Amino acid sequence: MDFDPMVMDDAESLGPVVKISQADSVRTKFELSNVDISFANSLRRVMLAEIPTIAIDLVEIEENSTVLADEFIAHRLGLIPLNAEGVESLVNSRDCDCEGYCEHCSVRLTLHAKCTGDENMSVFARDLVPTGERLNQVLGTPIVTDSEGLGPLILKLRPGQEIKLECIAKKGIAKEHAKWAPSAAIGFEYDPHNKLHHTDLWYEQDPKAEWPPSEYAEWEEPPQEGEPFDYDAVPNRFYYNVETAGNLPPDAIVTEGIKVLQQKLAGLIHELTEGEGGDGANGDYNGPRSPEYNTGADGFGGYTTPFGNAGNQSAWGGAGGTTPYGTTPYGAGQSSWS
Amino acid sequence: MPTRSKARKEEPAEAGSDIVMEEAPTSHQPESKDDDMSLPGSTPTAASFEFLNEGHTLGNALRYVINRNPEVEFCAYAIPHPSEPKMTVRIQTFEGTTAIEALEKGLRDLQDLCDVVTDKFIEARERFSAGASS
Ligand SMILES: [Zn+2]
Repeated sequence: MDFDPMVMDDAESLGPVVKISQADSVRTKFELSNVDISFANSLRRVMLAEIPTIAIDLVEIEENSTVLADEFIAHRLGLIPLNAEGVESLVNSRDCDCEGYCEHCSVRLTLHAKCTGDENMSVFARDLVPTGERLNQVLGTPIVTDSEGLGPLILKLRPGQEIKLECIAKKGIAKEHAKWAPSAAIGFEYDPHNKLHHTDLWYEQDPKAEWPPSEYAEWEEPPQEGEPFDYDAVPNRFYYNVETAGNLPPDAIVTEGIKVLQQKLAGLIHELTEGEGGDGANGDYNGPRSPEYNTGADGFGGYTTPFGNAGNQSAWGGAGGTTPYGTTPYGAGQSSWS
Repeated sequence: MPTRSKARKEEPAEAGSDIVMEEAPTSHQPESKDDDMSLPGSTPTAASFEFLNEGHTLGNALRYVINRNPEVEFCAYAIPHPSEPKMTVRIQTFEGTTAIEALEKGLRDLQDLCDVVTDKFIEARERFSAGASS
């Protein structure tokens, strides 16, 4: 029996198929078919939570005479989407040699506004000014997409009030904090007619009448009247709707997502084949686990997927998905994804 | 690689156990043997692996890909406790391969799958822009 992970069991199929139905600067809608639901879901999860982007992480407030508390403003600043183009060459702050932060692992932004007129004044994201050294000219710049060129509203000032602060934007992933999410939303659906009964549609009289059909309903055959339930059926076509928050283009979210998965896998293969490569992470743990029966393991039985791979510079996101749990660098150079 | 009967011989203690070996479940797996190199519970063809800081994202897809390997008798994953950042994968294989090889093959196959999906996506994206601009 030939084993090909790309081919579905019974399909005469040629492996995964991607069809794009919409693509612009804000969203990409596509259909991924002939893959297992587990992979489709992995892609969705990784796009949501593990793509490195940049967001404000530290705020030093010098002057705040607004009605808003410092921490409230700091939180709002964190949520402002910043351009993440080129984050892959930004070092993860936790892995950087510096103390705290430096130009290799952060972008500095300043905000200074004072209401000198007699009307209330609004402060927008465009007023956040990147300063100092940057890896490139756009990394860390607030995303402004509205027609007036203002960006999100940060706060308002009454006459005489002033805000002056400095922000440090760092690289991170949405698993640590949602402010690092590249996507505003990721739509994911399959089986628009619910033929597989993976969901129970709540209804009063008639689910057909009460539930609007999915926009993909006409892409798939509706069930025949009286058709028996197919117990062997598995979902095969998955519909994604990837909407960016502005920091990464929607296509990049998809390719980056897969890349993050690739990085996880590459790191694991590396650890598996290179033996005990620098993994003190849980060396003292001797739980009932079992791998490595012939590798001279000294009690370490797990494979840590390194979130913080310091020197793994690949096209996007040298550091896998990185923020929080950075340890265990997986060596550079073994990554072969393109 | 030890056969099942061999493994039994090495462990005379088994003789006193309640289960008569001939009536043991039909699993292909040999009994575990106390090899100095192995951690408790592992044999070449049956092992559990623990992944730190991983979850369903990796676990489910990996489980699927490993199960597609015809040399694999059994593969499943679990997240033993929601507040521990750990994911475990259990692999049992037939005699032709080992659990570690099956794991490695699974990882590589999943990488290949990622490669293919990336290529297909980029291809579809280019076709879409070409269609939109013409
Ligand atoms: Zn630094």
